Amino acid sequence: MKAKNLMIPVKKCLTPDNTIKDAVNILQADRNGEEKRGSDVLPVLDQAGAIIGILSVHDILKAVHPFYLSMAETNLGNFTWDGMMESLAKQAGNKTIGAFMTKDVATVQEDDSLMECIDLMIKKNVHQLPVLEEGGKITGMIYGKDIFYNITAIMLNKETAEKP
Amino acid sequence: MTPDIAQTSRQIVMGWHFWIATILFLGAYALIVSEKIHKTIVAICGAAVMIVTGILAQDEAFHSLELGVDWNVVFLLISMMVIINIMKPTGVFEYIAIRSAKAAKGEPFKIMVIFSLVTAFLSAFLDNVTTVLLIAPVTLLICQALELDVVPYLITEALASNIGGTATLIGDPPNIMIASKAQLDFMAFIYNLTPVIIVVLAAYIISIKFIFGKRLAVREELKARVMAMHEKEAIKDPVLLKKSLIVLAITILGFVFHGMLHLQPATIALTGAGLLLLVSGIKDPHRVLADVEWATIFFFIGLFIIIGGVVKVGLIEWMSLEVLKITKGNLFGTSMVVMWFSAFASAFIDNIPYVATMNPLIIDMAKQLWPGLSGAQLLHHPDLMPIWWSLALGACLGGNGTAIGASANVIIVGMSEKMGSPISFKKFMLYGMPLMIESVLICTVYVWIRYYILNI
Repeated sequence: MKAKNLMIPVKKCLTPDNTIKDAVNILQADRNGEEKRGSDVLPVLDQAGAIIGILSVHDILKAVHPFYLSMAETNLGNFTWDGMMESLAKQAGNKTIGAFMTKDVATVQEDDSLMECIDLMIKKNVHQLPVLEEGGKITGMIYGKDIFYNITAIMLNKETAEKP
Repeated sequence: MTPDIAQTSRQIVMGWHFWIATILFLGAYALIVSEKIHKTIVAICGAAVMIVTGILAQDEAFHSLELGVDWNVVFLLISMMVIINIMKPTGVFEYIAIRSAKAAKGEPFKIMVIFSLVTAFLSAFLDNVTTVLLIAPVTLLICQALELDVVPYLITEALASNIGGTATLIGDPPNIMIASKAQLDFMAFIYNLTPVIIVVLAAYIISIKFIFGKRLAVREELKARVMAMHEKEAIKDPVLLKKSLIVLAITILGFVFHGMLHLQPATIALTGAGLLLLVSGIKDPHRVLADVEWATIFFFIGLFIIIGGVVKVGLIEWMSLEVLKITKGNLFGTSMVVMWFSAFASAFIDNIPYVATMNPLIIDMAKQLWPGLSGAQLLHHPDLMPIWWSLALGACLGGNGTAIGASANVIIVGMSEKMGSPISFKKFMLYGMPLMIESVLICTVYVWIRYYILNI
């Protein structure tokens, strides 16, 4: 099986000038794939349509997380208060995504094998990969979870086959 | 009495070595100021060329006390960085900062004063940038809890760290460099600089009361957020903390007595670092050593070699003669010029290369003035001492003048921008420059009264 057989086609994309609020709206409304589940990530494209980043749920958490909490060597998170997240979330909505998106994006080609996808996911520590067609344009997104379902099917079938 | 300067100076040969060294020196300065190439790369390349062209022999660059790398400065910096790298993860600095905010009961101006004093005190013993990097994150958290503008707090902390750093031999790199070249010990800095820095700090606190005092207000219910913080939760490793505090205390005691013990500050610091590495139970010192700011260390190493080259060819001696021509051997005038020129120079350029150049210049000047003397008799000539102190005060305090004057300023400007309240160059100068001038004025009066009227 190849990447293109398991990927979910991408419909919505972002540009770096979109706000976090735009992204959240799309993530909430967008339903993808056969099970119509929400996407976890959105690709970010430049004006030419080339992929320059990915905005994940984790990146949205980063937009709310104040930078100084990750600066101190110890855990300043101990000293946060109830209501801090809420007030920062309100402020974060209008920030543009360019500063928060994950810029170093690993991609696969449509005809790449699933093993190559797994290899990249493990090495880059990501749960999804954008799938590009030959011209470099993004056509879909392959998720670790879908590969997991695939693995599950193989494992269970095999086990049931072995047991008489 | 003005000695006959012309007779005492050796003939400076302005041959090709002289000109190559001069061009290298000026070129390196220009590149460092332009920030086109990282200053450490400039310093390493400049040093390499100085040796390759034969201006300085490798033996002189590495081993000469007069012309080579000042290993006293290098090992003092590395050792203090190792000690602080081991202490950082214990959480002691966050503990101190949160404890301070609670001691101020969430009152915004009291917090500003206590944070400034704590930053100044810590900076007197630790590197200024490290102090600001440790205190500022907590400051930002407290400001956000109290819904306060972060800008006044960040600016006052950076300025306080530069003031506090001036107080001791180990507080700021210029002092470390001056101490090594002028063979001044830790207690000399305590006797001569700490008293005036206490006055400067007091004036600073009064000034920020006028500047920010009225603007700061906090809603009562927000104070509860700060009071609810349990500072003890910051302490991650109480055992390591105890060990570090004991070793730090021993190290500081070592600094206090290093003159009596006939040990250099670098030896004391190296002993402290070794002892803490030993007792901390760290199995692999790789991380602690990797976190040493090697870029800064190599900047110093390269710079010392470049300066060694221009000292050897006689450029610095020529410059010292020019200075003497202007001041005509008037040492009070010289010390005032040194202080104010250093202050304004350090406000705009890195004070490390500046002091590295000024040290040999002052020594050369002393050689012209008192040709018969050498060693400590020359370096500690009673008429020369106020010039060393003026250099230290001017070069350290001058950093407060602009946003680029000191590394701590650069750090807080970056943080402020990340918080969404950028501090422009002009805005920083609006606060920094008058407060810098105020502090140098106080030092001017101090140097004048103490060394030229009271002669103590």
